Amino acid sequence: MIRNLKNMKEKVIEVSQLTKRYGNIIAIDNISFDVYQGEVFSLVGPNGAGKTTTVEILECLRKPTSGFARVLGYDILKDENKIKKRIGIMPQNFNAFERLTVKENIELIAKISGSKTNINEHLKLLGLWDVKDKKFGTLSGGMKRRVGICMALITDPDILFLDEPTTGLDPQARKEVWTIIKNLRKSGKTIFLTTHYMDEVEILCDRASLIVQGKIIHTASINELILKYGSGIRIIADNKPNSKEILHEFTKNISYDEDGNIVGKFSSLNDANKAFTKLYENGIRAHIIMSSMDDVFLNITGKRINEKGELI
Amino acid sequence: MKGTLAVFSALTKNWIRSRTGVFFSILFPVMLLLLFATVFSGNENIKYTIYIQNFDLKNNTPTDLSKAFIEALNSTNNFDIKYLEPNTNISYYIKTHPSFTSYRILIIPKGFQEKAINKSISTRIEIIIDTLRKILELYGNNMNQTTRDYIKNGIQGLESFNKSLNTQNVTITLLLDPSDNSATTIKGIIYSITTAFNNKLIGTKDIININIKNTSQRTLKAVDYYLPGYIAAFIMTNGIIGVTSTVSEFRRNGILKRLAATPLSKSSWIIANLLQQTLLAFLLTLIMLTLGLLAFNVTIIPDPPSLLLILIGAITFCSIGIVLGGIIKDVETAYGISNSIAFPLMFLSGAFWPVDIMPDYLQSIAKILPLYYFHQGLRELLIFKNIQQSYTSFIIMTSMAIIFTTLAIKITKWKEFE
Repeated sequence: MIRNLKNMKEKVIEVSQLTKRYGNIIAIDNISFDVYQGEVFSLVGPNGAGKTTTVEILECLRKPTSGFARVLGYDILKDENKIKKRIGIMPQNFNAFERLTVKENIELIAKISGSKTNINEHLKLLGLWDVKDKKFGTLSGGMKRRVGICMALITDPDILFLDEPTTGLDPQARKEVWTIIKNLRKSGKTIFLTTHYMDEVEILCDRASLIVQGKIIHTASINELILKYGSGIRIIADNKPNSKEILHEFTKNISYDEDGNIVGKFSSLNDANKAFTKLYENGIRAHIIMSSMDDVFLNITGKRINEKGELI
Repeated sequence: MKGTLAVFSALTKNWIRSRTGVFFSILFPVMLLLLFATVFSGNENIKYTIYIQNFDLKNNTPTDLSKAFIEALNSTNNFDIKYLEPNTNISYYIKTHPSFTSYRILIIPKGFQEKAINKSISTRIEIIIDTLRKILELYGNNMNQTTRDYIKNGIQGLESFNKSLNTQNVTITLLLDPSDNSATTIKGIIYSITTAFNNKLIGTKDIININIKNTSQRTLKAVDYYLPGYIAAFIMTNGIIGVTSTVSEFRRNGILKRLAATPLSKSSWIIANLLQQTLLAFLLTLIMLTLGLLAFNVTIIPDPPSLLLILIGAITFCSIGIVLGGIIKDVETAYGISNSIAFPLMFLSGAFWPVDIMPDYLQSIAKILPLYYFHQGLRELLIFKNIQQSYTSFIIMTSMAIIFTTLAIKITKWKEFE
């Protein structure tokens, strides 16, 4: 589901020609992008692409070598404290005090930040109520990430930074974190998310910047990326006598796959639906394949990212 | 300030709930104090094991005099006496009975009683002859001839009898191990006993007596030395080992980064650590002093200067820990390095034993270590209540606290985490 982005006018993050070097290594190279209020924005790329360096510069945890960035209108170099008071973060490989309970860890961040928000409400909202008195060190990976998100949200931040929020989690725990992010998205919270999971971007985000080797390759809405750089919408049908004729009514782009099935490629979901319905009425078995962010990344960079976040 | 207190509270809870942390910070010092203060509290009652091989037998039983000599040794309460049969081959016995305690063997020769009695009678006669000659020399002119002749005849008779006695010296043999640290003490005790025994045999009385009095206002016990030493040493280890490893761990697992992303300032983080270590130092002091009272009946009530010195010590060593934790990237390396700094400090500084017993070069090393001034100052304040003698400690420890706190602020990274 893609949200209407027309109302997202106000820039809450502005990044312009940002570069960060570590000696001779260029971690991020002259990158620029904007993030708008209320959107879920993702910086997506393989490991070592510069995602964490970028997010940590925006969180005032690193200084850029050159370039300029503003968060909520504040200069990251001059207004560090003002920014820190208004953002919530969950770092990569998030951790908290192992021997403190879930509630104590969250209270710690609330007290440091001077937050007056209701901790119990947040615990309930994030499904942490039952484990609030458990020590952080005894929680599962998924629960720990929930605590991380809760700690980030406890200050009621204007922007939530989630650095690789689901890396290393099992599929069930990932889905639980996704549900939380989806709910936050519904509430209108601005979220800046880094990930190497393409499905995460597709499911959770409004817009994304593709980053590879410190350079931003493309920034656009997920819709636009898929339509422009995806592999389109495909119908793969059994090779029956009238399969080709039916598909040909709706598209000229027809080919055959390695199993001899007939493949029709569509630029419009409406045409694909009509073709699929007609095939079904004629008793021809077929299925629709939507284009994904994986295709987008492959088509733009010529490479894929595996489960571990490596470029292949 | 709220942030500092929140972090202080979190650090304290995190420490209290760590079994390892509580063991090494509190229980380990308590165990060591109990152990060392108990072991060394009975110095005056130390008994040295000594073997006696008595060859002076009559009808297979020790002669009266050899028994009396052994009894004299026993009456000092310094010896745990064990006996070797006269037919025991000493070299073979030592070889077949290896021991970590050095062998000390006293051999009483055959004829000990007979020779000792003869020699003592002969000595007594010589004294009488010598006395009679002196009488003749000094007062002979005032005597009539008959009296002088009686005395001269008496002298001749005594000389003649003395010549008829078998007057050999008696030699007892003491075998000692050159590596035996107690050898000098044992030789001294046996020499004193032998001299006293000789005097008894010839019937002389003590002319010079020794009256031993305490130089201290109250009797100092081993625990008086150990208490300030252990309090200082474990405030040091809690700072250098404890803080180094936790700071390094927090850096590695991202807690430091998480805190740095909040409005909490670097100095607030450092102050929270200093506060936590100060609390721990006071808690350790309270527990150790209570233990001193309950287990060793030593009442020490810390006064404001001693509490101030404890505060300064906690700040100094906690700052060193923050500096090391800020430099060392790997947690295991942090443990290794902090231990290799803390342990030599502990043993070389004299916290566990007086520096006076160490070689000169080690004493010079001790006097450049901050822990030396810390425990010396604490001892002056807690035990001797002598604030003047603790000025040097205050000056050195305050300087160290300033230097290392400044370094801790400089070195602690609040950005650019690796």
